[in-house]
Amino acid sequence: MLMAAATILFSNPILARAQDNGGFYELETKYIFGNFTIGSSTGIEGEKAFEPETEADFGKRGGNYGVAETELEYEYTLNQFMQIELGPTVSYYNIHNVPGLDDRNMGSINGFEADIRSVLIDRNPSPFAVTLSLEPEFHSRDETSGDKVVNYGLETRLEADTELIKNRLYLGFNVLYEPETTRSDLGMWENESTLGVSSALAYQIVPKVTIGADLWYLSHYSGAAFNSFTGDAVYLGPTFYWQIAPKILMSAAWEAQIAGHEVGVNSTLDLTDFSRERARLLLEFEF
Amino acid sequence: MGRYFVKVGSIAVALSLAGTALLFGGEGARAEQGAAVAISVKDHRFQPAEIHAPANRPLAIRVKNLDQAAMEFESVSLRVEKVIVPGGEGVVNVRPLAPGKYEFFDDFHQQTRGTLVIE
Repeated sequence: MLMAAATILFSNPILARAQDNGGFYELETKYIFGNFTIGSSTGIEGEKAFEPETEADFGKRGGNYGVAETELEYEYTLNQFMQIELGPTVSYYNIHNVPGLDDRNMGSINGFEADIRSVLIDRNPSPFAVTLSLEPEFHSRDETSGDKVVNYGLETRLEADTELIKNRLYLGFNVLYEPETTRSDLGMWENESTLGVSSALAYQIVPKVTIGADLWYLSHYSGAAFNSFTGDAVYLGPTFYWQIAPKILMSAAWEAQIAGHEVGVNSTLDLTDFSRERARLLLEFEF
Repeated sequence: MGRYFVKVGSIAVALSLAGTALLFGGEGARAEQGAAVAISVKDHRFQPAEIHAPANRPLAIRVKNLDQAAMEFESVSLRVEKVIVPGGEGVVNVRPLAPGKYEFFDDFHQQTRGTLVIE
């Protein structure tokens, strides 16, 4: 749907040529798609920022389920091609009467994450800009259940975007591959992997504010290299970005699982590997 | 399993570094052929508002702040920023660029804007 809309807009020569400069200047694209889909911008050389970023997941097959994970990130742009982020994560679990999960109402420091982002293709002369992101992660609690575990992951993304209308309409794509290995209380290591592709549109509706839509397809496998398919999900939802002040911005997205499939379950959603709804909120304070 | 992660990680890091080297490589090879351009800010206006520079060469932009207030030369597409004190000047180093137009502005006075034309 997003691709079709983009194709129509991109093929319209009047819209493609439109360049409204009435306060609509260029934006860094990293967070304009709501932050499930991430844009290609790697920041401005020497820039430092503090970024609290929270992802919340809601809804399983039954009971009450709400889990939030906040990353307290320090972001630094090393040069005109590379950016790093690192910081601890804090999780909060509110789980009651969910089949297969223990009841839990607790918060916990839950590990450490880093992100190394490097420009692969610059936007000019290419119409698309592409950035490679590598995000090694360690968690001491299971992200879904809150059980004590030792978990390592490597979220790998290709983050691409282009301008459909200069300084107004942006199209983003992500490809995601995340292998993980987890040791539970039983001492066994279990491997899993997630593959995802996304497409998002962001429209600068007033200067420094974008609204848009984000579409994700995610599939989950046991085994680190897609060994055995366990389920998949399609998420769709709105996005919002606001550069509140020259050094402060916010980015938000909310998405619902609109389709899915779980191996061995007769259902139109996968509520074991994924949640019914998910949301992200990021604030950035540059200093 | 650990070896698998090391292998995946190594390939990904190598790809990332290769991409950066590809972009930096051109800069290194042409470092001695850098270009320079000068611009000033007075009454919160860039003078000139449009500057020109050659393509595919590292560029040094010398910015003079002739105002009584600090300014921050910044550009999203050039990926640079530099604070310049009142009456002071600074040099902003930019990677080799492809032909095109690149916006820049004063982050402390955002109506102060200009364009770098690479040709």
